[in-house]
Amino acid sequence: MSLLSLKGVSKRYADGPRERVVLREVSLELAAGESVVVWGLRRSGRSTLLRVACGIEVPDSGLVCFDGRDLAEDGGGVLGAGIGYCRKAFRSSEGQTAREEVMVGLLARGMPPSTARSRAEAALERTGAKDCGDLRLSELDSGEAIRVALARTFALRPRLLVVDEPVSGVDLIERDGILTLLRSLADEGTAVLASAGESTGLTGADRALTLGDGELRSGPAPELARVLALRPSPARQASG
Amino acid sequence: MRELGATPMQSPVNWALLGLIIERPSYAYELAHRFERTYEGALALSSVSHVYTALTTLKGRALIEEIPGTRAGRQPKPRYRATAKGHADYRGWLLGQLAEDRRRQRLFVLQLSALARKPEAALEIVADYEQECLAEAANVPIGDHDGAAAEGTPALVSRLVVEEHRLAVGAKLAWVQYARSELSRAAQAPAPRR
Repeated sequence: MSLLSLKGVSKRYADGPRERVVLREVSLELAAGESVVVWGLRRSGRSTLLRVACGIEVPDSGLVCFDGRDLAEDGGGVLGAGIGYCRKAFRSSEGQTAREEVMVGLLARGMPPSTARSRAEAALERTGAKDCGDLRLSELDSGEAIRVALARTFALRPRLLVVDEPVSGVDLIERDGILTLLRSLADEGTAVLASAGESTGLTGADRALTLGDGELRSGPAPELARVLALRPSPARQASG
Repeated sequence: MRELGATPMQSPVNWALLGLIIERPSYAYELAHRFERTYEGALALSSVSHVYTALTTLKGRALIEEIPGTRAGRQPKPRYRATAKGHADYRGWLLGQLAEDRRRQRLFVLQLSALARKPEAALEIVADYEQECLAEAANVPIGDHDGAAAEGTPALVSRLVVEEHRLAVGAKLAWVQYARSELSRAAQAPAPRR
């Protein structure tokens, strides 16, 4: 059974006097541990698709199910537990540290502070932001910010991680690190649904799709992207 | 008889070999090994002797020269370096590759336009093209360079190759959206009167 299933999902918006069809009878299945990235131009509806897929927005028609449960009936219960929607923006107070930011969601769920702190530390380490724990949110660069945002979502231990344009605005040199992280989360069993406005974001996906004119089109199942070693491994260095 | 240098050198192997010599003067045998390492999966030598043939051509065109004194001894092993002309021609050839890319892409679009009277058929080809682009984009290797820490020419070259590939695929995907929009409009338009 699919972890996430969209069947015949449509969504329209009023665009002045006109009506814009953002999603037109869109269907998508996502399995546990699978990484799917949806590429689209600006205003193609890729962000809407993600919000609909995790129950933040209700479709005009069609069915969205997570683990067999209809999100229209149980959306509030699943979001934040089984589904983690990664917001890239921080809404916290100015002086808050990255660690405190990751802890907020855990404390809000009634977790004791000491447990929340250790869970936050583990999540920051897992996303490669271990050294950012004591930094203020305003001090993070673009790559660190997305890693902290991912840690905040990952700390909730979702089975499906949804993230809108994870590498958008991130320095080119840092992007592969984020993509490698998402790939590794999928390899460990967390399904990943992401969007991309640039083709770089498609790298490493199990499936790449495009969204245009409200229609979702899938590419062929690619080979798993290999990781290109850009630095000699310690073994090679020792023998060389 | 026509002078060897009068016609442009076409062989990608010859140009690739010249690039290696520009990077570092080498012996023929060493060049063969560097060629295999550098261009693995992109360009192949038919045999090691292919290098000797290519070196003869490059010398004949005054793009490379033997480094004086390297033929001394019982088993002379000449090393080769690029001439000023070799450096200049190589840069010109690299820039020419951009034009070649544009030519290939233009040819594809022109060939597709042969189906302009049958937009439905053209839309199917565009859809297949999109599938190829998506597969390519997802299959681009992820550079495991740990941020900016990766050093050295091979790491730099790998990053440049990967990024060029990814950005090129992105441009093609954007073109597919545009082509689909135009062709869909053409498909819905009433047929022209004869």
